[in-house]
Amino acid sequence: MDRKLIRPETVEEALSEREKYGRDALPIAGGQSLLVLLRNKLIDPKVLIDLQTLEELQGMKRQDAGLSIGAMTTIYGLASSSDVQMAAPILAQGASKVGSTAIRNLGTIGGNLCHNEPGADLPPALLALNAAVELRSRKGTRKVPLREFFRNYFETVVTPEELLCGVEIPKLPEGASGVYLKHAISSEDLAIVGVAAVLVPHEKQAGAVREVRISLGGVSPVPFRATKAENVLNSGVLSDEVIREAGEVAAAEAEPMTDPHASADYRSKMVKVLVRRAIAAAMGQLERNGNGKA
Amino acid sequence: MAKLKLQINGEEIELEAKETALLLDVLRERLELTGTKRGCETSHCGACTVLLDGMAVHSCVVLAARCEGKEITTVEGLSHDGELNELQQLFLRHGALQCGYCTPGMLMAATALLRRNPRPSLEEIKIGLDGNLCRCTGYIGIFDAIQACAQGKVETA
Repeated sequence: MDRKLIRPETVEEALSEREKYGRDALPIAGGQSLLVLLRNKLIDPKVLIDLQTLEELQGMKRQDAGLSIGAMTTIYGLASSSDVQMAAPILAQGASKVGSTAIRNLGTIGGNLCHNEPGADLPPALLALNAAVELRSRKGTRKVPLREFFRNYFETVVTPEELLCGVEIPKLPEGASGVYLKHAISSEDLAIVGVAAVLVPHEKQAGAVREVRISLGGVSPVPFRATKAENVLNSGVLSDEVIREAGEVAAAEAEPMTDPHASADYRSKMVKVLVRRAIAAAMGQLERNGNGKA
Repeated sequence: MAKLKLQINGEEIELEAKETALLLDVLRERLELTGTKRGCETSHCGACTVLLDGMAVHSCVVLAARCEGKEITTVEGLSHDGELNELQQLFLRHGALQCGYCTPGMLMAATALLRRNPRPSLEEIKIGLDGNLCRCTGYIGIFDAIQACAQGKVETA
């Protein structure tokens, strides 16, 4: 039987369809991954629920508390938005590294997160930004920190009755710097290792850092915050030795996987290198902003 | 089946298609607009690139039903009255093709790029074409043709 395409006009309608069809339906956002999975017969939903026409899921708002991004905001929209560049520059960096131009034109932030493909570029950036997602169903709305969102390869906590409607990014502390680095075979590939780092400078002590955040994608089945490596960096001055140690610790806590793109051993080595480079680059930014040791 | 009303190369076309038909299949199989090539069908190679409201998209990962109310441009829509447009002529002049299979996609990606950024740097051209593969490895000619188009240098033969 032919697959059905349902095109709701409001989120409420979409949620009713979600409840009605349960596991027989999948929501389609930008379609850039979902239509490939369909074509390769990896999924076979009876129904697709089209989110494209839902205006409530479009657009973004920059407020004092931070940035709210509608789930259907495109990756190109993120990469080219001055609000994102100002409020969450590492998200703009991550977005500019997703797939190719055509994929960025149609792919969405909500779709990218719900697909949860290892090596996706947005999750590490959003994890380092302490982002949370808004999940809605007919029963209500819940806000889930991104750190609790990813469950396994291509699996998230979203239930068959829910829709991811938006992403909330709290405002970065004053003077924070950050960077997203991607290591891939070719620019349009998924990351073998993607590292996001955020450094928050100490208000009073020039050259000191009061908070370090590191997240990793592409290494393990799910993207994660490298909390042990963060602890190493949070416990003292960021000397070359401490930064090197943080790279080692991140590699140890990553439990890297082997797949056709790279072996676990190679991933582990690249984590060490990229964590080091990411911290160094973020420190360089702090220095240029006048918060560093220089 | 669903009734579709599509705007393709300035023409309004009505047809019936499966609800989840792909734009690539509609263009090639139903409308015989075979300039748009079927390549990897997994959004990697860019042979199927078309413009959707002026933006480059891979038609193998676009539902035709979602294109209603939008302007679709295929490679057939670039020439006017049988005359190749400036970019197409520059592709010829700079030898920007060998087997030609990637060429329609390259032309569409380049057209979208030049609309978004009329004076792209070489680096920006490479990013604009990052969704299009040429397996004859003829990128240099393609970059030259696009740069020449951006500079408005049409040398008369």
